[in-house]
Amino acid sequence: MKQFTQYLAGLAGAAALGLGGMAQAQEKEPIHFALLQDFTAVYTFVSTEYNQGQQDYLRMINETGGIDGHPIEPIIRDTANEPQRGLEAYNRARREGAVLVDFFSTPVSRAAVNRVLEDEMVMITALHGRGDASDGETFPYVFPMMATYWSQAAVLAHYIEEHQGGLEGKRIALVHIDSPFGREPLPVLETLAERKGFELRNFPYPSPGTEQSATWSDVRRYRPDHVIIWGAGGGQQVSVREAIRNGIRQEDILSVVWLAETDARNVGSRYMKGVKRFEAVGTGTDHDVLQDIIQYVIEPGLGSGPMENVGSSYYNIGVATMAVSVQAARLALDEFGAPLTGDKLRRGFEMIDGFDARGLMPPVTLTHKDHQGGGYGRVSQWNGAAWEPVTDWFHAYQDIVWEEIEQDAAAFREGR
Amino acid sequence: MDFQFLLELTVNGALTGWMYSLVALGIVLIYKSSGVPNLAQGAMVMIAAYLVWVFSSMLALPIVLALLLALVAMFFLGLLTERLLLRRMVGQPIIMVVMLTLGLESLLRGIGPGFLGAAPKSLDLGLNMMPIIVGEVFINREYLVGAAIGGVMVVLSLLFFRTRVGTKLRAVSDDHVSSWAVGISVERAVGISWGLAGIAAVAAGAMWGSVQGVDWTLTTLLFPAIAVVILGGLDSIYGVLVAGLIVGVLGSVIPGYVDPLVGGGTRDVVTSLIILLTIMFRPHGIFGREDIERV
Amino acid sequence: MFYRLSGIKHTRYVSARALWPIPADRRILYVLGALALLAPVLLSDLYLTSYMLPWLIWTAAALSLTLLMGMAGQLHFGFAAVLAIGAYTSIHLTRAGVPFELALLGAGLSSAVIGSAFGAAALRVKGLYLVMATLSMQYLVEWVIVNVPAISGGAQATLNTPDVRFLFVPLQSDASLYYMALLWTVVVTLLLLNIRRSSFGRALVAVRDKDFAAAVIGVNPVRFKLLAFFVSSFLGGVTGAILAFCYYQAVTPEQFGFNVSIQLVAMVLVGGLGSVIGAYLGAGFVLLLPILLTNLLAGAAQIDWLPISFNLIAHIPLMVYGALIIGVILFEPLGLAKIYDNLRKYFLVWPFRHTQS
Repeated sequence: MKQFTQYLAGLAGAAALGLGGMAQAQEKEPIHFALLQDFTAVYTFVSTEYNQGQQDYLRMINETGGIDGHPIEPIIRDTANEPQRGLEAYNRARREGAVLVDFFSTPVSRAAVNRVLEDEMVMITALHGRGDASDGETFPYVFPMMATYWSQAAVLAHYIEEHQGGLEGKRIALVHIDSPFGREPLPVLETLAERKGFELRNFPYPSPGTEQSATWSDVRRYRPDHVIIWGAGGGQQVSVREAIRNGIRQEDILSVVWLAETDARNVGSRYMKGVKRFEAVGTGTDHDVLQDIIQYVIEPGLGSGPMENVGSSYYNIGVATMAVSVQAARLALDEFGAPLTGDKLRRGFEMIDGFDARGLMPPVTLTHKDHQGGGYGRVSQWNGAAWEPVTDWFHAYQDIVWEEIEQDAAAFREGR
Repeated sequence: MDFQFLLELTVNGALTGWMYSLVALGIVLIYKSSGVPNLAQGAMVMIAAYLVWVFSSMLALPIVLALLLALVAMFFLGLLTERLLLRRMVGQPIIMVVMLTLGLESLLRGIGPGFLGAAPKSLDLGLNMMPIIVGEVFINREYLVGAAIGGVMVVLSLLFFRTRVGTKLRAVSDDHVSSWAVGISVERAVGISWGLAGIAAVAAGAMWGSVQGVDWTLTTLLFPAIAVVILGGLDSIYGVLVAGLIVGVLGSVIPGYVDPLVGGGTRDVVTSLIILLTIMFRPHGIFGREDIERV
Repeated sequence: MFYRLSGIKHTRYVSARALWPIPADRRILYVLGALALLAPVLLSDLYLTSYMLPWLIWTAAALSLTLLMGMAGQLHFGFAAVLAIGAYTSIHLTRAGVPFELALLGAGLSSAVIGSAFGAAALRVKGLYLVMATLSMQYLVEWVIVNVPAISGGAQATLNTPDVRFLFVPLQSDASLYYMALLWTVVVTLLLLNIRRSSFGRALVAVRDKDFAAAVIGVNPVRFKLLAFFVSSFLGGVTGAILAFCYYQAVTPEQFGFNVSIQLVAMVLVGGLGSVIGAYLGAGFVLLLPILLTNLLAGAAQIDWLPISFNLIAHIPLMVYGALIIGVILFEPLGLAKIYDNLRKYFLVWPFRHTQS
């Protein structure tokens, strides 16, 4: 019982402090970032931690003087993954002066693309949304800023090639959720299969992926050398369990970025040992940025959520997105001066050169053409207690990735 | 044709199907006694799973105690739902009742993840994850346990209907007015059926929660459960078992062979078609009672 | 008062059978009509594009469903699929170069044809079984859209609506999109009001009340059930196209999911089954309530009135929404339209207490 009351008290306390608002008095006018995300529907598996990381980072920036004295005020709303609610929140945030929006929901981002392009509002689509938005010339205001799903597939394939005995003659199974997101890596992997001479088969399982036994019976019979799992949320841990159950070695399971501590806990830490995943941002609190957050935000009790989330995979992704955004805002303010507008912020983003958030993430370079930032990532492995990187930051087969980007971007231009 | 493959699909499909039956059982119990289609059963399963998680993880109680506490809590939640909401709906058109249960679903989906956290939680029942291997066929141990519990629950329900209270329930399911006439409290009988549905939800929530983690996606179990219920007959307890088997096996075997051909997950299609074809050709299901409508 | 019955004497059938025989009702309508026409001037673009516009379009969708559920008594839990068929048809047609006016017609027709196939189930079963049958069709249509890239639009599964003009007016500015939606909603509203007092409408009502009895008095239930599905799906299809072109401007399969079907049913029921004004009220309730609550709670949280976790704040609208649906169904099964009606009746005889009707 004690634990329970403690939990409740902690929850209430943390919330009360977190909502204390960003009322830190600073003279200069605030910058508004709209974090309009899905806290109640499809993205619940990630949004709480992700958003907590974003809020804590912004809080840390505010506590340490803001961006050249400008505090950042986040506008946070739930959209329930419904486009019409997302658009309402977007229009409202725009009126309140937001210069950047993060929906963290593929359907909402997709519905909003045309509007942000028209309204000159920066939209960050880290690890969600349209991959072809990496083409900055077609999508000047959209910034995926981290490896797209295509780049992730390429990185995973390259890892197999370099560290797991090459690709040639291998059988690789792509087990994915049956949705556009699940099918996204297919073209890149198919091209690679042709080029590198390995065999690829895809195994779709029905959404939401909570029951996949039939799919995995088939996968086992295919006798794959490696399995790439491509899903999100509850389906991921079911995939890992089924893979292990069907005799696939943990070392041969590779996952898209959506596999985190929660999934490891749910699968069972010891079973999970050896499973690998793509990683876009470092995990754990052993980074300078995280230490700053702990010093300025968590220890004074200003954190926006439960302590134990700090440093988790999704928390750090949230931190990284805001680190890049703040950096862009800082560059824009230095170069063009206040007040910050969407257009200035966009040019700020495009000036980011080799920014790595003090080692938290791979160096990101955004240009007018490349809004993906190079498509870097690394592979990390669950060691029984934490995610441990097994490679350095690298990127792979960007030529194939960019073929996809340009092809889809061209289709988008024609569709207008 | 790979016989082993077919066999494995069939066995695991059957086990999954019986795990769906756990969810479907609650719907049938309620429909049988009161004619209310409870579309909030998926949400009740989710709430039950959250309760088991609260007792076992948050309060760190032994799992058996946690399950028992959840059983009691869900029984009373079921009773309460009937008393406060459904009892007032007697005589209302079916669509109103359906919408009410959908409103209840929203409410529960807000309450569970809202108060207890929306990120998926793990529910460890202490089951071994490794499969049972018979020949070349891998049998999912968790599903086996779940299916066994499903079977036991159905048998228990059947036995329950032979007890004194159960006999009253059967009378109520036959005819409300005549039951009143012979002195049976229809209200209490219907209430008890809701309580029993709550208990079934705990079994379903614990098993599915352990397989897939506890979060709102548990409510999506409603769809396969509906297929089971429709196919078996809305008011047939053993229909749940037979239809669970059929829905599970078809939902496993057909996608097993068809998915590679069409390149998409076809299980929801199979489930939809089962519902549709049943309704077109035998609306009352395999074992359901055929209603004769009076003009 | 202004709103009264006494002194209103209809001397001709035409005036007695007018849509709005009471002058006060007409005056209210003139005011509302004028407000609707002036909305682009009166409202900021936030309220125009994020509240009025979706509200109108969803009202049109709810009205289409009202025709089916309220008048003909055929339950439909897959109406989002009907909207989706219309939306995708119109987009593919305009992309192929078909003028928007014809594309709208095509959207309506394709929805009507496929929607009537949904109706085939209605010939066999009713009530709960019809709910389940239409629900399963929703899943089937959704699956086809997601799994046929030619429909959903390739790898990104997003289709942008091309720039179109309607009757030589380019649909570009917020105002033109709004007027397009307003025009369609008014058309559907008038259509429904008039269907109600036509022989077609009376036949539908006869089928709704008891199909066997309708057959006895010479109304062919098979024909009218199918007709109801046809007409309602036609309207739904055009509404889906309007939704795509005037509001979303980029269509993805998620916009027409199962939850949207449920929301549409909720609009019809909460508003009041079969009521035209109810569709307006219900659409407003279901669509805007969660948005308003979210903003309200966020506002309260910002000024420190809500010392609870953000996760809980985000979930409160869901709870309140569910609770209110339960509340309306328990306490006013005839929906918000009945509440409006009670008010209206109260003022009709004010200052007296009772009306005879």
